[in-house]
Amino acid sequence: MTAKSNNEKMGQGVGFERIRRITGYLVGTMDKWNDAKRAEERDRVKHGLTKNA
Amino acid sequence: MIQSIIKRDGRVVLYDQNKIAAAILRAMEAASDGNAADAARVANDVQRDLEKHSVGSAPDIEAIQDAVERQLMNHGFNAAAKAYILYRANRTRAREANTALMKTIDEITNIDARVSDMKRDNANIDGNTAMGSMLQIGSAGAKAYNEMYLLRPEHAKAYREGDIHIHDFDFYSLTTTCCQIDILKLFHGGFSTGHGHIREPQSIQSYAALAAIAIQSNQNDQHGGQSIPNFDYAMAEGVAKTYRKAYYRLLAEALEDRLDLEEQTATIKALVKDVEAKVGEQPRLENSPAFDEAVIYALTKRYDLPLGDSAKVVSRTKKRAWKKTDRDTHQAMEGFVHNLNTMHSRAGAQTPFSSINYGTDTTPEGQMVIRNILLALDAGLGHGETCIFPIHIFKVKEGVNYNEGDPNYELFRLSCKVSAKRLFPNYTFLDAPFNLQYYVPGRPETEVATMGCRTRVMGNVYDPTREIAYSRGNLSFTSINLPRLALESNGDEKVFYEKLQAMLELVAQQLLDRFEIQANKHIYNYPFLMGQGVWLDSDKLTLQDDLREVLKHGTLSIGFIGLAETLTALYGQHHGESEETQKKGLEIIGFMRDYCDKRSQELKMNFSLLATPAEGLSGRFIRMDQKRYGKIRGITDREYYTNSFHIPVWYHISAYDKIRLEAPYHALCNAGHISYVELDGDTARNVEAFEAVVRCMHDCGVGYGSINHPVDRDPICGYVGIIGDVCPRCGRREGEEIPQERIDELRKMYPEMPAFQGIE
Repeated sequence: MTAKSNNEKMGQGVGFERIRRITGYLVGTMDKWNDAKRAEERDRVKHGLTKNA
Repeated sequence: MIQSIIKRDGRVVLYDQNKIAAAILRAMEAASDGNAADAARVANDVQRDLEKHSVGSAPDIEAIQDAVERQLMNHGFNAAAKAYILYRANRTRAREANTALMKTIDEITNIDARVSDMKRDNANIDGNTAMGSMLQIGSAGAKAYNEMYLLRPEHAKAYREGDIHIHDFDFYSLTTTCCQIDILKLFHGGFSTGHGHIREPQSIQSYAALAAIAIQSNQNDQHGGQSIPNFDYAMAEGVAKTYRKAYYRLLAEALEDRLDLEEQTATIKALVKDVEAKVGEQPRLENSPAFDEAVIYALTKRYDLPLGDSAKVVSRTKKRAWKKTDRDTHQAMEGFVHNLNTMHSRAGAQTPFSSINYGTDTTPEGQMVIRNILLALDAGLGHGETCIFPIHIFKVKEGVNYNEGDPNYELFRLSCKVSAKRLFPNYTFLDAPFNLQYYVPGRPETEVATMGCRTRVMGNVYDPTREIAYSRGNLSFTSINLPRLALESNGDEKVFYEKLQAMLELVAQQLLDRFEIQANKHIYNYPFLMGQGVWLDSDKLTLQDDLREVLKHGTLSIGFIGLAETLTALYGQHHGESEETQKKGLEIIGFMRDYCDKRSQELKMNFSLLATPAEGLSGRFIRMDQKRYGKIRGITDREYYTNSFHIPVWYHISAYDKIRLEAPYHALCNAGHISYVELDGDTARNVEAFEAVVRCMHDCGVGYGSINHPVDRDPICGYVGIIGDVCPRCGRREGEEIPQERIDELRKMYPEMPAFQGIE
């Protein structure tokens, strides 16, 4: 991934980030998260709403 | 013959036997083992020893200390020898700590926070700024000092080696964690921030502005979060004042216009006050018909108006006053949210860590507050960004807002819609039995409120007549590395419980040691928290009193992390995998809770059990345990231990089962708890589905919960909010590039836009 493809353009290959709850509270974008919490966030799976999802 | 010695820094100085004798005497005195004459005799032998061991060269400090140890033991001063060895080990540790401290400060000074994990330990402090770095340097220095001078050696060892984690350790000798600020008590009669006196506020705008000031002021007296437990009840008073003022003025204006009169405000105010005295009611959002009729009648009498005309004037005034009050309230709530996201604390290193609790005030004024704070949260910040602070906590209660027909049910529905977009509010459930037991209708201080990430204070062994949320908080907390206890027990349950018991005792002692330091402080150490009577009973203290007794209203909390990994280590699976293991999990946490209750009764102090909000801790323990035990599947093979009693984040389970399995732990963890459910974006934005999850939490007996779902951000233009396919600010799609010129244009419109630094 390159952030700057050349001097005139920005953003190639850069995805959108997500704000996530770190632990009860928010801290904004995840660039401030420590490494362990980043790893934990990466691993989170969604919970389905049926009883045996 | 020894002439000179080599000091640690390499300098050569003259040999002085008296200095050796003095050091030996200090060890003898510390151990009550020997006197000055003994010390002199031992020192003589130390010299002979040195002459024998370092022939022809000057001995260094280590060689001299070795000789002292040998000769103390040769002479049979075993206790003194032990004291000397301990002293020597401590000095060595202090020197190493100094070196480590300098290295830490070096990292804080020179390394970018984006590559320094240490600088991102607490995500709320920006380690790249001047004040953030200063705070981190101060923190590093305080930690080194506290470990060396304030902790018992066994506590220092347990902390250093990762058996336990002492939270907010940098503040060990300084203050307590957090407090629920009863904002009404603070406002009545006015208060002082320490930088000037503030009169009692008279409008909703001032109520909201001063609420933010109160949070900011108290944040500087404590190391944890600040919370307002009665946000709706308190702001409602401001709403009532704003309405009253609007009513007088708008009624006067309506008459002035209608009858072509000059300034009538004073006359009208006197007229309405007269009615107030007779009817026993002030103008408010919903007045009784008797009040309205009395005003109509008085107007007719005073201005010679037909009754029908007076009635019209009053009805129009009421509508206009309502509208103005609603608009003012909305602006006040918006201002409050903006304030809390932008105002500085701790020399600008942080925004105050703030929480507000609301949802149960059913007066029209309270409802107006709740609706508008939710709408302000929904609108977001200046460019629609999601607000980080305050943490919004919606208090759910049957008969108040939970069921259709309850007075605040529509507000509960609105809260679900907002939370589905903004991640807040979180929900606290007053009907959970362990919360309901304190609840007294009409006494909002008995409603459980939450602060910071999850802290809860309700029960009060010290003063059972004050089992309330207001004006209390946590004093300090320390967490236990549960998975390590399990790993050290090699699957033997009995051994595990013995180790757990010993660890609980160690932590309780450490909390009590810390309490001793806190208890010896005075009002003047906390000019706002104690000086303004924010903390319970602090208004009864004199300047000479220490804080021991009033602090006993607070809690000493024992926390834990990694129940899932603990169970896997002991029984081969975690509590999401079988009902049998769930039972074992509840036994472990129940055992810890029993210990807290027992110590509480024994000491008449509030020991409580905390489901630790592991942010910095999530990686700290496991990194050490990986070094010790290697990567063990399901236990130490990830970069983090699972938060408190949670089912592991990576484990596939339905929302319903996760809630059902975690709920019983809420009842046990009386110092605080939270459960999350992760929903995908589409489900979360389906309000029915969102509400169904909240209802499931309520019905399963969860104490505090929230729902996680994606809220997106574009790192290129800095837009924060919900992003569909296209970023609403810069118009790019995921992965697309946009011209630098466009960025520059946008930066003119959004000066706070971050300068994009590249992907890490």
